[in-house]
Amino acid sequence: MTDHDTPAPTAGEAPAPAPTAGDGAAPLVELRGAGKSYGNIRALHGVDLTVHAGKVTCVLGDNGAGKSTLIKIISGLHRHTEGDFLVDGAPVRFASPREALDRGIATVYQDLATVPLMPVWRNFFLGSELTRGPWPVRRLDIARMKATADQELRRMGIVLDDLEQPIGTLSGGQRQSVAIARAVHFGARVLILDEPTAALGVKQSGVVLKYIAAARDRGLGVIFITHNPHHAYLVGDHFSVLRLGTLELSADRADVSLPQLTDHMAGGAELAALKHELAQVGGVDVDLLPEEKDLTAPLAAPAAPPSEGNP
Amino acid sequence: MDRFSRSRRFAPLVAVAAAAALTLAGCSSSSGGKKADEKGSGASAGKATTPRMTVALITHQAPGDTFWDIVHKGAEAAAAKDNVKLVYSADPNAGNQANFVQNAIDQKVDGIAITLAKPDAMKDVVAKAKAANIPVVGLNSGVSDWKRLGLMEFFGQDETVAGEAFGKKLNELGAKKTVCVVQEQGNVGLTQRCDGLKKAFSGTTEVLYVNGTDMPSVKATITAKLKQDTAIDYVATLGAPYALTAVQSVADAGSKAKVATFDLNKDLTGAISKGTIQFAVDQQPWLQGYLAVDSLWLYKNNGNYMGGGEQPVLTGPAFVDKTNVDAVAQYAAKGTR
Amino acid sequence: MSMTEHAGPAVTTPPAPGPGGTDGRTAPRPPLLRLLARPEVGVLLGALAVLVFFLIAAPSVRQGGSMATVLYQSSTIGIMALPVALLMIGGEFDLSSGVAVVTSALTASMLSYQLTLNVWAGVIVALVLSLAIGAFNGWMVIRTGLPSFLVTLGTFLILQGANLAVTKLVTGNVATDDISDMDGFDQARKVFASSFDVGGVQVKITVVWWLVLAALATWVLLRTKYGNWVFAVGGNKESARAVGVPVTFTKITLFMAVGFGAWFIGMHNLFSFNTVQSGEGVGQELIYISAAVIGGCLLTGGQGSAIGPVFGAFMFGMVNQGIVYAGWNPDWFKAFLGVMLLGAVLINLWVQRTATRR
Repeated sequence: MTDHDTPAPTAGEAPAPAPTAGDGAAPLVELRGAGKSYGNIRALHGVDLTVHAGKVTCVLGDNGAGKSTLIKIISGLHRHTEGDFLVDGAPVRFASPREALDRGIATVYQDLATVPLMPVWRNFFLGSELTRGPWPVRRLDIARMKATADQELRRMGIVLDDLEQPIGTLSGGQRQSVAIARAVHFGARVLILDEPTAALGVKQSGVVLKYIAAARDRGLGVIFITHNPHHAYLVGDHFSVLRLGTLELSADRADVSLPQLTDHMAGGAELAALKHELAQVGGVDVDLLPEEKDLTAPLAAPAAPPSEGNP
Repeated sequence: MDRFSRSRRFAPLVAVAAAAALTLAGCSSSSGGKKADEKGSGASAGKATTPRMTVALITHQAPGDTFWDIVHKGAEAAAAKDNVKLVYSADPNAGNQANFVQNAIDQKVDGIAITLAKPDAMKDVVAKAKAANIPVVGLNSGVSDWKRLGLMEFFGQDETVAGEAFGKKLNELGAKKTVCVVQEQGNVGLTQRCDGLKKAFSGTTEVLYVNGTDMPSVKATITAKLKQDTAIDYVATLGAPYALTAVQSVADAGSKAKVATFDLNKDLTGAISKGTIQFAVDQQPWLQGYLAVDSLWLYKNNGNYMGGGEQPVLTGPAFVDKTNVDAVAQYAAKGTR
Repeated sequence: MSMTEHAGPAVTTPPAPGPGGTDGRTAPRPPLLRLLARPEVGVLLGALAVLVFFLIAAPSVRQGGSMATVLYQSSTIGIMALPVALLMIGGEFDLSSGVAVVTSALTASMLSYQLTLNVWAGVIVALVLSLAIGAFNGWMVIRTGLPSFLVTLGTFLILQGANLAVTKLVTGNVATDDISDMDGFDQARKVFASSFDVGGVQVKITVVWWLVLAALATWVLLRTKYGNWVFAVGGNKESARAVGVPVTFTKITLFMAVGFGAWFIGMHNLFSFNTVQSGEGVGQELIYISAAVIGGCLLTGGQGSAIGPVFGAFMFGMVNQGIVYAGWNPDWFKAFLGVMLLGAVLINLWVQRTATRR
């Protein structure tokens, strides 16, 4: 267990998170032809992925496309069975999430980010509590933990009345945001977000996207897993679309448009069929999607039907 | 997990080392302990040459009860002497006890000895045993039911009679108010003891229920009662371990009450000779077990009926007090009284 | 028209609000209501209600000595209820806690007696065994992933049988031999089962241990890392594991804490009654669990306190003894006990509901 006794970075400026320099340097995390087989079932095969500091890498894919397997490899829950997994240019094989965490790779899971009955500040420091005093009377430094949590949350733009309230009383978006702020505070260099917007409403999703942007602006590399191309396109710098365990698309923002992304996401033929059907129903048209040029969060755009294509 | 796998590897080593250290490093006690108690051995009474027979003894013992342990030992002594194979089974649940009887019938044993804590639950299986020509005797509980159920003989104590004898003894000792401590609420035998005591005792009798499986609770409850009612001058417990606890309660409550009890065990004889407990009413459980097995042997080999087949054979109440405790103590120490 | 025109991602960092701002969604609730909403306050009121009731109904309760008796009974329940409560907060049950007490006492007694050792040797070995039983329970629960209800039910039956069988095998009887004349007994009795004088009232040492352990447990639960972990593993095991809480370590040590409690009460039983009956202890586990639940611990884990079970145990002790002090018809004893406990729990519930209503 590492004691994160390091004092919190001061508010205002983004901390220089860990050894990597900003642009152009070696990617924080890189997968080269990585894959994973469970027995004779090949869940993932030949995946290339790079994550740079200060960039958001979106991983899209329908259910069963291999997204969760990918996260599990990077977060240290499972080991890859083929290809290479490099952190800061050096190959690694993680034995536990703790090891990944120690290398600055933090994962925020959609459903198990927090302990609902515990106060916000305890959740914030859970597993990495600040303490003071020598061993037999080593105790939690509650004042410091509360102050730090409050500060960190405010820096991410989250304001809470009462840090003592159980985190379960917060909205889903707020909870995700606390978890993100938490990961940022604990020196995460790479943040993996597993479907953070999947269970949320439109407005709440906007809140979360806002914090993803905040994390990016603080210099973190973000892996944003989603099956919603609209959400991805709002924050993403690079897009990788998984399909049946392999990469179908890997493109920078400059090389791909939202319709193209949506197209890849749903699979061309399927989408065409869907478009045809929708055209017959009438009233829905991807071309009629609102202009998003001057759109900032919260995201007001109605989610287009294709993105909700899975149950 | 790491720290555990490591300590697991060392655990057996540590245990062995500790055990060795304990015995070697002068941790031994200079007083008491087994070494001080190891004197004499159990009596044996030769062995019969009659053909091997099987007897089932089925009681309503709850696991770990000292009293039934003595009954069991008596039965084993008789079995050893009579060349009998003894099959002992017990369950406080009447339905389960009846199943054990059925089990014995299925095994075609030569005789069955049962307790009748809940007589009506045993009615059917007793009838079945009779139909299978297996003699059935009763012991301990059921002094008023054994004839109705058609048992051949009965060995035990009439709990009401024992209670009355207890009450009369208290009258002799000049007691004014007593509390009857019941360790198991709803037990027929225990209730009969208290009722008999109440009937024969000329002073006032109160009943106190305690949780028999939790000694500290028994102690606190008796203490509370003695504090609540300072007029109590005798505590009557219905089992030996509770009497020893009651002595502590009396001291805690600062009461002048004396303690007397039903039933006997090894520690109790010591308390009687020291005078901390006044007397015990003994129903001679060892004798009950012994006679039950012996009677079945006699019936099979010589056609005898103990009690003439009409009257129960009473094994109590036998009083143990300071005057005769020394004679009893040596047997109690062996767990046969 | 299409979104390819964006040079960069649309969402930007929001401006950080200044300190002191609130999200304005919740009005602060009055401090008194917030206090009442704490689970241990509800049970405190329940316990007070029971106390006041008996102070009125049973004159002899008003004496200091009577209160010492009530506290003694409460302490023997309460010392076990503490680790049982912590374990429950940690999301697990231990049904073997009642018979584990007897196992510990039997071990100490038989070991000392049979090998004619100083009783402290037996005491230490019993501690090691009790902790080992706890560790076994925890390890089994973690390794098999079965509900602790099932695993410890197994341990409960094993111990119940082993208590009897081993005692019978070793001593030839179903109770252990008297060890009160052995070396170290008086010393051990001072630690586990003595009493001391407070203003003319004899108070049992277990009461002191009970309160000291409760204070320690409260401190650990609220002020240490470990306490944080206990809440976390009970509240959401998977989340706790994901953020790096050592779930296995926390759960196993919680089970071992129950082992420690069982050892302590086992030693108390041994040194106050000199001998141990092997059949005792069955059913006590439910009383410990009840005291914890009455004390505000959530049956599903993740919430509770160490101070709540103190009041829960007190409520048990008070009702248990109060009925005797009041001199009520003893045939109704259990019924009274049930009604009083239910009543106290309802008061607790009502206070909670009132306090947490928005």
